[in-house]
Amino acid sequence: MSRAVPEAGGGDIGRAGYRWVVLAAGCFGSGAYAGMQMGLPAIGPALRSHFGLTVAEAGLVFASLALGVGLTVFFWGLAIDRVGERPVQVGGLAGAGIALIGAAVERIALRPMVGEPVFSATMVTVGVFIVLQVVAGDLIGLELRQVGHPWGLEQTEVAGVIVFHSDLAKLAFTATVVALLWLFLRHSRLGLAMRATAASQETALALGVPAGRMFGLAWAISGALAAVAGMLVATGGAGFSQATTLVALKALPAIVLGGLDSVPGALVGGPIIGLAEAYTKTYQDDLFPWAGDNVDQVVPYVVMLVVLLVRPYGLFGTREVERV
Amino acid sequence: MRGRPELFTSYRRDQAPLNTPAKRAWLGLLLVGLLVFPFSVTAELTALGATALLSAVGAIGLNLVTGYAGQVSLGHAFFLGLGAYTAAVLSGDPDGRSLGFGLDMAIWLPAAGLLPALVGLLIAPVAIRLKGLYLAIVTLGLVFIGEHLFRELTAVTGGPGVGRPAAQLHLLGADLGRRSEILGGYPITREIKLYLIALVVLVVLAVPAKNLARSAVGRAFAAVRDRDLAAEVMGVSLTRHKLIAFTISSFYAGIAGALLPTVTGFIEPGSFNLLLSVQFLAMILIGGVATLSGSLLGAAFVILLPRLVEELPRFLPFVTGESTGGVLTTFQLQTLLYGVLIVVFLIAEPRGLFGIWVRARNYWRAWPFSY
Amino acid sequence: MAGTGKPRILVTVAVLALLLTACQGGETGGGGEEGGVKTDVGVTTEPCPGGNADRDCIYLGVLSDLTEGPFRALAVPITEGQKAFWKRVNDQGGIGGRYDVDIATYTRDNKYNPQEHVAKYREIEPNILALGQTLGTPPTLAGLPLYKEADVIAAPASWWSGWEFEDVILESGYSYCTEAMNGLDWASEEYGKPGTVMAVHYPGDYGGDSAAGVAEWAKANGVDFQAKAHAVQTTPNAQAGNQDAAVERILRADPDVVMVATGPAEMAEIVGKAAAQGFKGRFIGSVPTYNPALLESEAAPAIKALYHFVSPWGPWGSDTPAHQAMEQAAGGKAPANDGYTFGWIWSYPLKAVLERAVQNGDLTRAGVRAAVTQVTVDYEGALPDKTYNGEPNQTAVRQALIAKPDESAPLGSSVHKDFFVGPTAEKFDFTKPCVAAG
Repeated sequence: MSRAVPEAGGGDIGRAGYRWVVLAAGCFGSGAYAGMQMGLPAIGPALRSHFGLTVAEAGLVFASLALGVGLTVFFWGLAIDRVGERPVQVGGLAGAGIALIGAAVERIALRPMVGEPVFSATMVTVGVFIVLQVVAGDLIGLELRQVGHPWGLEQTEVAGVIVFHSDLAKLAFTATVVALLWLFLRHSRLGLAMRATAASQETALALGVPAGRMFGLAWAISGALAAVAGMLVATGGAGFSQATTLVALKALPAIVLGGLDSVPGALVGGPIIGLAEAYTKTYQDDLFPWAGDNVDQVVPYVVMLVVLLVRPYGLFGTREVERV
Repeated sequence: MRGRPELFTSYRRDQAPLNTPAKRAWLGLLLVGLLVFPFSVTAELTALGATALLSAVGAIGLNLVTGYAGQVSLGHAFFLGLGAYTAAVLSGDPDGRSLGFGLDMAIWLPAAGLLPALVGLLIAPVAIRLKGLYLAIVTLGLVFIGEHLFRELTAVTGGPGVGRPAAQLHLLGADLGRRSEILGGYPITREIKLYLIALVVLVVLAVPAKNLARSAVGRAFAAVRDRDLAAEVMGVSLTRHKLIAFTISSFYAGIAGALLPTVTGFIEPGSFNLLLSVQFLAMILIGGVATLSGSLLGAAFVILLPRLVEELPRFLPFVTGESTGGVLTTFQLQTLLYGVLIVVFLIAEPRGLFGIWVRARNYWRAWPFSY
Repeated sequence: MAGTGKPRILVTVAVLALLLTACQGGETGGGGEEGGVKTDVGVTTEPCPGGNADRDCIYLGVLSDLTEGPFRALAVPITEGQKAFWKRVNDQGGIGGRYDVDIATYTRDNKYNPQEHVAKYREIEPNILALGQTLGTPPTLAGLPLYKEADVIAAPASWWSGWEFEDVILESGYSYCTEAMNGLDWASEEYGKPGTVMAVHYPGDYGGDSAAGVAEWAKANGVDFQAKAHAVQTTPNAQAGNQDAAVERILRADPDVVMVATGPAEMAEIVGKAAAQGFKGRFIGSVPTYNPALLESEAAPAIKALYHFVSPWGPWGSDTPAHQAMEQAAGGKAPANDGYTFGWIWSYPLKAVLERAVQNGDLTRAGVRAAVTQVTVDYEGALPDKTYNGEPNQTAVRQALIAKPDESAPLGSSVHKDFFVGPTAEKFDFTKPCVAAG
């Protein structure tokens, strides 16, 4: 076979031993979802002032999630085919590439939508999603593609529960990414500039912050995070195909549940949805078999619905202040 | 008055939807063209035309709730599905694999509108509490819950990957789903009959929709959409109007959903998915939000686009009609164009096709003095 | 506008109507009688596109899963195999020395979706004489009433047991039902009689047929199989996301043998994950569950250790005149997988029927349909001769062979046990489809 297939576990542990230290740290549950949602509260405020949107409406534009996941998953596979490099390194490459595309999408498709009804902006991202999905689909082809990772199907026992190494790696990876993003937003000048632009666009402009570029940066980060998420989603026993894109939709109930502009909300919403889905998958047969097979796909939305009935702005979302 | 079409001598004439002879003439022309169409083209195009007309019915419904009343609804596919299965079950063959009662079209067609309307009525109170994105995501959730329901109720739907036959078109004893002949041998194919049914249904439903939009309720919708707090302060009941919007939109969706699958004659439960909702949204956005003509134009555009793209391999060398080979297949090109056109329309012409039409009309109205 | 309105409108309407009438389309094939052979739809006197100029053309339709569905990896080579078969027929003189066969022009993608299938069928039906391929049990069932109404015969890319009872469908090889019985018979022989068996299957009559076969086998052999606990319905990953639920059920029931009737990706996931979590039983796959690409997946070791699949005929590389002709037609270049073989072999019955119809002088739809019960199909050694006339209990094929994944073989699998008929399959009383259409 001309393709390089990464060895299943065992190889190169010595050189990369530090990685197991990283793996050992952190545990967030539903790793991939948390990664995506960390990015969204960063962009929410930016969009809010960009379009003059309300907090609630800003999130609607997050159709870019699916976009980012879709594209990056395929680039990931292509890269693995060609070079068989270590997943983390390649993931970084993909992330950077997609970040650029995210910024380009903002510049080309979203900038002209300033002042238009927010719903139009959303549909624009849906249109971009459709386009990019076709392009990516063309690249991935019709076959099921496999993504290698060095952990194979190995397992360990953690506190009496059997866990796949790859799952632990995913969790740790997400934790690292989340922490990095938090560091960026809190402690770097650029992050400060982004938050300033979100808080008050005019003041930031007056102080010399290039607001347009900040929005582009926000989209780029979103793309990069989606790349990370896509990468993590694709590493699994079944490989990935054109249909994997739709996984990104599951993030929507998680964001809404937590509240759109809230960081703690994102970190809570993802695990809640993920756990609800996992519990349903496992215990449904015993507890409520009448609901039918695969009801775990629907449970995120039901949970979200229930929460929204009680708290219409999500668990930690801020209530929108309206003036007439 | 002759020669002075813009002189109105009563409010009634002024407010009429077809107040000038030009409008009446063009509408008449359009109707005649639509009537002549199925007799002049292949069965395949006629079927496509029927699909476009029925989609327009659904698009009108969506426009009422999303365009006029501003309540973002991604759940249109769910109501379409409800209508489809109500019709299929009520009209289905009692001895077939799936549930059926063998009733007449005169019964199942209204029922297929009423059941989704009822469900819309039940869901509306939930929707009323929510706004903007939250509402959109909840309606999205509705689509997924609906998909799950359709997958699980195998007695009704046949189950995923299997499906069941669509509604049977028996109207007062006459089988409208079969080919027949009139006037000594002129064939009236199944597709022509479907098309004519679709045309009648569209006309019958479009007129009330137009009138609704022009009435007090329609103005209330616009108020709710633009500034709901101010509307409430002025005395427009938010709850009542949102309820009306959802119910009526669901009714239209139900009727459209009942008749759309009859074109092919088979329903697979997975077809009422997010993509279908997005397709209808695209229809109203490309066509023109909050306009009736926009719904029609958008529906025609979105439905006919794939057919146009299928003709392209003849002109563009890098597009292929085969399943593999070439840079792009027709299916990929059509999806690509679909997305690109959504983006282009929204950026360049936010009022959609209707906006383009208005611009063209205004230009020609004042021609050659259009400066 | 005022005053000149009416006459102008009338003229415009008239002109429009005339223009539109010019777009009138119609069916392919004018019908009539040419040189003693009656034709109606799907046969033209013009040569096939790109075909021999001195021959007439028969158009065959193809409705296959070419882009999105779970069987596209198999379906594309199936279609290629069929094209090669009919090209060989054309090169050898065509049908009855007179008709070339075109199987490319009316190829459409059904995405393994019954609704899409019916829509595409309606699109191509006015132009074809018969269907060279209709892929998928549920899609073909959806189209079956329409086929019967229009007298369109079809070669199915499916092995549902019910096809034996339909005269318009030209099935080849065993059915999923007998496949399951043979597979389990072999497993009993090779590994000892299982205590419990399970069936993991797709919804609809592909999976359902296989599961019914498992149930029949269990009943005939006194083995534990309760439908609720042991028949697991699962859907393609495009709908279900993953197969965790099915794997969970397998681990909980812990059977000795699992019969799998899903798509290849789903099978790999089920086998791989079950093995990783300590499952020690064996897996027997229905023929559509195997794809050599799986040998590069994570589940490859598990598949090689625990999985075999049943096959209705020999894979690529087998030693029969049919396979040799096929390899020659492919120009010595191995196709992506054994779908090519399937497509090739599936086409023999249709060729026999068309030739018979020409012999009868009636190449109309009705004439072709009538010819079905008159033929004896010669598979050039790949399968025993087949007729479509008589009791399904007699004419149904029951033999199978067992194949295993094999990296060294050209298409990833080699024969483990050659043609046999298991004792249960032999005794089975085939009076109705294993899964009744209901």
